[in-house]
Amino acid sequence: MTGTDSADSEMLQAAWTLTRTELRTTVRHVSGSARRTVSNGLLLLLAVGVPLLMWGQTTAFGRSAASGPLPIGTLAASYLGVCSAGGYLGFVGGFNQSRVGVVGPLIRTSIPPKSVSIGRFATRTLEGLAVLGPAGLVLLAGVGVGAGGPLVPTLTGIGAVPILALGVVAGRLAGDITRYGNERLQVSLWIRAGLYIAILIVIFVGTQAALRVLVEPESGFDPRSIGALLPGEPVQAYAALAFAPLGASAEVLGGLVFGAIVVGVTLGFVAAIRLETHMLVSDIGADSGGPSIEGTDSVPFGFDRTPSGRIAWRYLLRTRRDPRTLAHLMPVLFGALGMSGTAIDDPNTLLVIGPPGTVIAGAILAGGAFCLNPLGDDQDQLPLLLTSVPTVGPLLRGRMLGGIAIGLGVAIGVGAPLGLVAYSPAFVLGQSLLAVFLTLVAAGTALGLGAAVPKFERREYMSVERAHPSMAITFAFFIGGMVVGAIGFVLLWVALTETLLGGSLFLLGYGVVLGLVAAAGYWYADRRFRALSLDHP
Amino acid sequence: MSADLSAITASGLTKHYGGTTAVNGLDLDVPGGIVYGFLGPNGAGKTTTMRLLTGLIEPTTGDGFVDGVHCTDRAALVDHIGLLPEEPPLYRELTGREQLHFAADLRNVDWSEVEDRALELADALDLTADLDRRIDGYSKGMKQKTAFIQAVQHHPAVVFLDEPTSGLDPRAAKTLRELIVELTAGETTVFLSTHILPVVEEIADRVGVLYDGRLVSEGSPDGLADAGDSEGDLEDAFLELTADAQSAWQ
Repeated sequence: MTGTDSADSEMLQAAWTLTRTELRTTVRHVSGSARRTVSNGLLLLLAVGVPLLMWGQTTAFGRSAASGPLPIGTLAASYLGVCSAGGYLGFVGGFNQSRVGVVGPLIRTSIPPKSVSIGRFATRTLEGLAVLGPAGLVLLAGVGVGAGGPLVPTLTGIGAVPILALGVVAGRLAGDITRYGNERLQVSLWIRAGLYIAILIVIFVGTQAALRVLVEPESGFDPRSIGALLPGEPVQAYAALAFAPLGASAEVLGGLVFGAIVVGVTLGFVAAIRLETHMLVSDIGADSGGPSIEGTDSVPFGFDRTPSGRIAWRYLLRTRRDPRTLAHLMPVLFGALGMSGTAIDDPNTLLVIGPPGTVIAGAILAGGAFCLNPLGDDQDQLPLLLTSVPTVGPLLRGRMLGGIAIGLGVAIGVGAPLGLVAYSPAFVLGQSLLAVFLTLVAAGTALGLGAAVPKFERREYMSVERAHPSMAITFAFFIGGMVVGAIGFVLLWVALTETLLGGSLFLLGYGVVLGLVAAAGYWYADRRFRALSLDHP
Repeated sequence: MSADLSAITASGLTKHYGGTTAVNGLDLDVPGGIVYGFLGPNGAGKTTTMRLLTGLIEPTTGDGFVDGVHCTDRAALVDHIGLLPEEPPLYRELTGREQLHFAADLRNVDWSEVEDRALELADALDLTADLDRRIDGYSKGMKQKTAFIQAVQHHPAVVFLDEPTSGLDPRAAKTLRELIVELTAGETTVFLSTHILPVVEEIADRVGVLYDGRLVSEGSPDGLADAGDSEGDLEDAFLELTADAQSAWQ
């Protein structure tokens, strides 16, 4: 063995040691808490259950591959799906990467940086495959049942491996580059956040527009139309290569695509590892907190009247200085983008759904900003908070007020002017009153939800490491908020245009129910956190 | 608080974590207006004791009183105590001045009532020039100084300090020791937990040595130093006491 071989072998050995240890700690972390075990079990069930919903299609695919015309188009479309899943897995791993956590200094002074990069690449990929793997096996089982033998699923699976690898590597590289840019840009955190959101919107709008051009409206993304999608033809050629043992005609293009995939995976992997190693060695991101702001802000008029008002101002101030405290709200943006998809076809719909949508978004922000993980978010400061305030009430109300201030800014500050363009003044007045009510009840309800599932552990989400709210509670609140908000607008519309008395009565009932839910949420949070101690967070 | 009354008392204070006993039937009687040095090796239960007495956790059995308030009555306790835990509880996005202002607001104390004292302490600790900088740019020592000020600025009757000189340079550590002694002149009681024995030797009026959750010795620093066979300083006495306790338990 040469010296280089020996060094490479030691490097890989160290990477494997790191991977093994991190996987072991992940397993212990999950199994160490019943709640985490259950939630991960549910995730796994979902990974198996969702493909089961496609059992009919997978068996039909298997039958067709075994005895009918070879479903090359469907296989190519499936491979695109595999590539996308791998891409997501890789991107999340590359973008969400804390600097090797608290044991970083130990790892970084014990093994070569390249080993750290390779080790973490392997860890994240294997963790992701723990979910994707079972899903893939269920799909292949369906194919096998339909085909009546193992050959078709085996060929399908073998063909999927390079595609998956390409997706993972390309995603990882994209995630790394995004993280590099994010941490390298020495501009204000708000500008970075703005840029990030702008890029997301451009990607979303671009994808929507491209799909509308490339896919026939009536096709419903039919696999037969895959040829219209770039790079449909090369992917179909690759799929034909995978099914060559079944009689598909293997073309030169398929071989070229396979070669390109192998080269792409290799080069992409090397590039990703190099970039990650460079970031690790130069410790890019160590001072990524943005330019330090000098100067003290006093509590402004209005917020200085009550203890909870003064506390609310501190939450707003912290958010103004570091928008990453709102990283958990990204699903709101994704949801808003999804809902506004129709506006690409007809921009006028923005004026119709815009004002109510803005009010609903404001209400969701009011609850989502600070109330979905009350006190969990303050984990590091609990010794101060618990030995300073006689009751947790002012802290909880401070969170509500801070959220309501943000929510009203959007719901009325943006919603009312937008509403005046498309609706009558009476509607805008009603909308604004509804906005005040919805932001208030959203904050109270979110407090209750957050108190039910508080999160005190730091974890990484959107490349921000802090005690984020529970994802399940966050999504439940967002989706529930949209539904409840929409009901409110329907009732308002009925009251203003159909029957004033009937609509008003329904609105009253709606208000009473929501008010009770919000009051119960506040009451529960107050009760739940009154007994908070460092033993029982 | 009058100096002849007990500032802190504990009787049979016990804390179990599953099968582990962190604090085991602790009895304490700390007079008011003194610096009480609380010593013990790693894992002896010092931090757990401080958490119990400040209401951050609840005892499994036993009672503790701080300035006459039961340690489980957190609502009443907050008016009597100040705490500097091992990790300074600060918001990194705030400036030092905003953090101190916030700490006053939490207690519903008007900033104007504590501002002079907070600024005096900041001045003494050479922190004034940095008060309008964000805490995420602070060094460990600056964070420690800020956390110390927020723990004492509201004139609490009893201050709990966990390793207060941690991360401080020698000059700042000396100033802090002087400030701690000054606190007792205002009849504040200081419950000081530290590993740095010379600090205790220098400023503590009374010392308790904790081992394996039990108080194995208590007295004046000089008394403890002279009591053992070593006839040396407090460090020798500490080593001897904890070694004795270890062999007695085994």
